[in-house]
Amino acid sequence: MKPFFALLRKHVHDTRGTLLLSAAALFGLGWLFVFVTSLNETEILRVLSSETENNRFRWLRNMGLEEQPPSVSIMMSFWSHPLIISIIAMWAIGRGSSAVGAEVERGTLDLILSRPVSRASYLLTHVLMAIFGLFFVALALAVGAGIGAHYNYLRVPIAFWTLVKPALNLAALGLPIYGYTLLVSAVDHVRWRATMIGSAVTLAGFIAWVVSVIPVLQKYTWRVYLERVSIFKLYNPVDDVSTGESLLFNLAVLAAIGAGCILLSFLAFIRRDLPANG
Amino acid sequence: MTSKALLATRDLTKTYGDFTALRQLTLDVRQGEVFGLLGPNGSGKTTTLRLLLGLLHPTSGQATIFGLDCWRQSLQVRRLVSYLPGELRMYGSMSGLALLRFLSDLREGDGLDRAVALAEQVMQLNLRKKVRAYSTGMKQKLALALAFSDPVDVLILDEPTSSLDPSARGEVLRLVREARSLGQTVIFSGHVLPEVEAVSDRVAILRRGRLMHIEDMHARRSLRMLLIKFADKVPAEFPAELELTVRERNDQTLLLEHRGQIGPLLHWLDMMTILDLAIGTEDLHSLYDRFHGPDAIDEEMVMSS
Repeated sequence: MKPFFALLRKHVHDTRGTLLLSAAALFGLGWLFVFVTSLNETEILRVLSSETENNRFRWLRNMGLEEQPPSVSIMMSFWSHPLIISIIAMWAIGRGSSAVGAEVERGTLDLILSRPVSRASYLLTHVLMAIFGLFFVALALAVGAGIGAHYNYLRVPIAFWTLVKPALNLAALGLPIYGYTLLVSAVDHVRWRATMIGSAVTLAGFIAWVVSVIPVLQKYTWRVYLERVSIFKLYNPVDDVSTGESLLFNLAVLAAIGAGCILLSFLAFIRRDLPANG
Repeated sequence: MTSKALLATRDLTKTYGDFTALRQLTLDVRQGEVFGLLGPNGSGKTTTLRLLLGLLHPTSGQATIFGLDCWRQSLQVRRLVSYLPGELRMYGSMSGLALLRFLSDLREGDGLDRAVALAEQVMQLNLRKKVRAYSTGMKQKLALALAFSDPVDVLILDEPTSSLDPSARGEVLRLVREARSLGQTVIFSGHVLPEVEAVSDRVAILRRGRLMHIEDMHARRSLRMLLIKFADKVPAEFPAELELTVRERNDQTLLLEHRGQIGPLLHWLDMMTILDLAIGTEDLHSLYDRFHGPDAIDEEMVMSS
């Protein structure tokens, strides 16, 4: 087991900067979105307190709401912000592309795989580090929001465990992104191609999801296909904290896509030739 | 040498599309010998070494070390083998000591103490410095310290002296000899012919992925070249016990290879009517030039014509 832990230690050493920066960014964003939610609620309360009952009802209807939403739902609407998704995607694409392609390109894979280390255990250490990072970074968002909720006024207090569910959903969103990037990296000998393909697929999926939810496009039949091909449909933090009906299904599908791609990466990496360098 | 074959390849072939990097390589390397691999860039040396380590999948044929298949049982093979890559790349952010510790840990931590001692005392490296601050030669010394410290049966060294200063080169050759005296088998791939000649028990010469020749260096060290100008006509044949081979024939002059005992040769020369005689040796360069020099026969051209 010593070689396995030596590799894990190295990955922690190599990625600790990116991991801490990403976690700090999401921690800060979590806190910021609580602050913004608090400001929103204060503004809503100010408007509603100055209106008559009828006007309050009309004002809410104008906002597209039946009743004043709970604080956590307002906050969760911010958790789909592109900044949050970008940080998760950057971690997933960065780790996926560096696992094999970057090492072959640098020529350092020889150093490791000429020692008695199996290719499967080498890749497994990369996968474990990447998955740990995804959950660590996503949890930092929940921790930032949880601590932020203690220092900002919210109309309905939020239990920390409520925030864990969307954080899990966010981490799971990173799994397929990591998976398909790793798959490209596992068969390639340069890093840039895995990064480019991983980014392009992720961006295309995100655009497809954004287009599919534009209200004026709801009448078009092709919108449904766009929605179906995007993994971002399976990340729904507002639903996670309200009904939570689709959370398990979303987690399962995201994990299955990620696991499938990771499995294919193992199969490809174990059988491939390893050239001297890229 | 009578020791058994430790490493064997049988019709080992590696192709990339239409390009054949290695063509039906069949050779045996015996336990405890230093086996030199010679050939210009692109002759298939590094491909052979990477096939032995299981880094490449053979297109056909097989390579084994201690009877273990180098592709299917690559992990077990790499427990027995230490490899020094020809193109050395390292993690620059690590210190020399951290890199030695990391790579030793990949072999369960064995050999770290010896590697540190070799690196500091023999190679004169400051292991506290980051690897990125090392020169190319210093990186090579670090990798050599690790390779010679690994508790393995086989050392595969791909151009181990390419970036070293002359004194360090001498040190490497000493370490190779020491490894042989400890019973380790060394595959020594290189371009510096005198170095390969100095340490190798046998040498294989590759060309365009083909094995052209295997030379026993012990026999070669007893090789004599005789340039004889006969007074009369040149004898049509020679007594078999003299072990003479005609290299060149030119009117009354013959260039002969002699690998046998000196007594019978001198006796035979005494019986001949000779105008002039020169006896010398031949270095590995002359042998190498027969396959890679300007007058080398291109067997593929001959076959295609």
